[in-house]
Amino acid sequence: MFVEIAPPTLAEAAAATAAEATATRRRSVRGISRLLGRGVVPYLYLAPALGLLVVWIYRPLVETAQYSFYSWNLSPTTPAIPVGWHNFHRVFTLPEVGDSVLRTVLMIGLLLPFTIVIPIVVGLLSREVRGRARTVYQALIFAPFLVAPVASAAVWEWILTPGSGVLNRATGLKINWLHERVPALLSITGIVGWQMLGFAVLVVAAGLASINGDYAEAASVDGASRWQATRWLTLPLLSPTLVFLLLTTVLLAGTWTFPLIDTLTQGGPVSATTNIYYLLWNYGFKSFDAGLAAAAGVVFFAAFTGVAMVLVWLSDRLAFHDN
Amino acid sequence: MSRITVRNVTRRYQDTTAVDGVSLDIADGDFLVLLGPSGCGKSTLLRTIAGLIAPSEGQILVDDRDVTDTPARDRDLAMVFQSYALYPHLTVARNIGFPLRAKRRNRAEIRTRVAEVAQILDLSALLNRRPRELSGGQRQRVALGRALVRDPGAFLMDEPLSNLDAQLRTATRTEITELHRRLGRTFVYVTHDQVEAMTMATSVAVLNKGRLEQVGTPTEVYDSPASAFVASFLGSPPMNLIPAEVTTRDGRLHAVAVGVDVPLGIDVPRSADGEPDPSAGREVQLGVRPEHLTATHADAADDDAAVPALRGKVRTVENLGSEEIAHVIVGDGEVRVRARRPAGLAAGDTVALQVRPEHTHLFDRESGRRLVWRPDQHSSIPAARVPVTT
Repeated sequence: MFVEIAPPTLAEAAAATAAEATATRRRSVRGISRLLGRGVVPYLYLAPALGLLVVWIYRPLVETAQYSFYSWNLSPTTPAIPVGWHNFHRVFTLPEVGDSVLRTVLMIGLLLPFTIVIPIVVGLLSREVRGRARTVYQALIFAPFLVAPVASAAVWEWILTPGSGVLNRATGLKINWLHERVPALLSITGIVGWQMLGFAVLVVAAGLASINGDYAEAASVDGASRWQATRWLTLPLLSPTLVFLLLTTVLLAGTWTFPLIDTLTQGGPVSATTNIYYLLWNYGFKSFDAGLAAAAGVVFFAAFTGVAMVLVWLSDRLAFHDN
Repeated sequence: MSRITVRNVTRRYQDTTAVDGVSLDIADGDFLVLLGPSGCGKSTLLRTIAGLIAPSEGQILVDDRDVTDTPARDRDLAMVFQSYALYPHLTVARNIGFPLRAKRRNRAEIRTRVAEVAQILDLSALLNRRPRELSGGQRQRVALGRALVRDPGAFLMDEPLSNLDAQLRTATRTEITELHRRLGRTFVYVTHDQVEAMTMATSVAVLNKGRLEQVGTPTEVYDSPASAFVASFLGSPPMNLIPAEVTTRDGRLHAVAVGVDVPLGIDVPRSADGEPDPSAGREVQLGVRPEHLTATHADAADDDAAVPALRGKVRTVENLGSEEIAHVIVGDGEVRVRARRPAGLAAGDTVALQVRPEHTHLFDRESGRRLVWRPDQHSSIPAARVPVTT
């Protein structure tokens, strides 16, 4: 008669597990306090960072939301008067808010060539530069990013001076760069673009470096010209990086332009360089209308959150995880 | 249809030489396997043929046309990469159709051709997927499809099976061999796996440290390795190499070392002036394949008429299922013996090992090149240093 061979049993392993279970039960009472201690430790490590975030970011955010429902002139001795939705009503009806939104969009649009188009061209071309020359080249492009905006503003002010400025003398133009409406807008975005170009080129270079070199080699064996490979492979694979740069430009254009606007034009001439960030700051710290500034801040915070979410979603859609 | 000629190609990087003066003639329809350990320059050589790396010296010819300075895209060679290099943002259909799209063929033609190739490679159901949604084997087939779609002069493959599991590798090996037979195109295939080389190749080029060691059919390379390196690279376990000295006894040549006295089956006619043959005293490496050694227990061997060639003590025995490998200490070294199970050997046994003279190989101790006997010259001369044709 045939006898079936039983599969190997795990008798010993089972016994071991049982023993451990008993031990755990015995341990449990004394262990609770220790477990609790172990659970707290990670949060203690996080505490300093979280504390600073709460104090400097979240608390002001909440307070801004609160002030948006009050009328207050920032003076500690004057009481804040509750005004309901009145501040929000003003945000949506004041014509200067609408104008500054348009100007902000225009500034972002003018910055995009510097943060996306030129970096792509520079990134693709600088791939041809090899070795140390490439490092030197990238350092040169990156350098303006390291110059403090106020310092660069001072230098640019000299360069752009109508009578004796280098730019007008070199080009023979007679443009008052900082005190005419269109030239002032172009000057501000041009200077910011010049500063941000290095950062954007660095991001594009990192994006290009992360694309597996095998694709370019495969494409060349497959008979694709360099232009075809760039158009069909490099740019699509670079698109998440480009969306990141778009996101950075849209969200940070205000932060980048603010110091230059404040030192060079103070929002002028005739509000030609007043974007929403500068307008907000004007409301709060020039007109001392804290409620209006807070309300505008809340509205734009919500709007930019929406824009950011759309772009992050887009970036996720475009990312092709290669493996 | 392409015949590929590699003429004296050298590729240097700063202070290392990846490929060192390699010459190969790959006939039309040949399946040439570039075989060697990692770092031997086989991939560099393949990439030089593909046009992805420019040689420091030498020429690459395709059908007698010098393509050394021709960019990869104009060489009419298709390549399958080790990583497959499938374009991650394109569907399987667009990946396969990519070479045709680059050549600006019209859409209808591309679609038809992609469908044909997908049919051959059993990919028809996967055409709309992206590479990340495919298994390793499917990706490998897409990479093959991208090479097949444009009907190139030759196929270059850089370790295409190394990312597959053992079972799939065996199956795909057969498929690629079948594909080669059906297409009749030239294949140049890089691998470090001797099983792939032995089973797929029509000729094998063994590389070591950037130099060509031997070119020949799998049988030639296995049965008469041109160097000690080739002997020790092929076979599992590889050929035993025992340092020995050639001596003359009773007008016959023997390879002798401690515990070793192997007759080489060569008669030395005594020369007219009574001088001993110049081979005597030559330092060599004696090569014997593990499967060519037969083991008997030392005490039993006494009854045997044959004199034992090697004597030693079994250190350990490995069971491979169908066979077993005995590791035998002979002199200072170790000799592996391969035998059908059960061979009745156990650790600690003293054994006598026999080998037939025709199964012995001699290599120069210094250069490592194979020594062949030329009766008329009274001396052993090394085989040709670098065979050029396949």
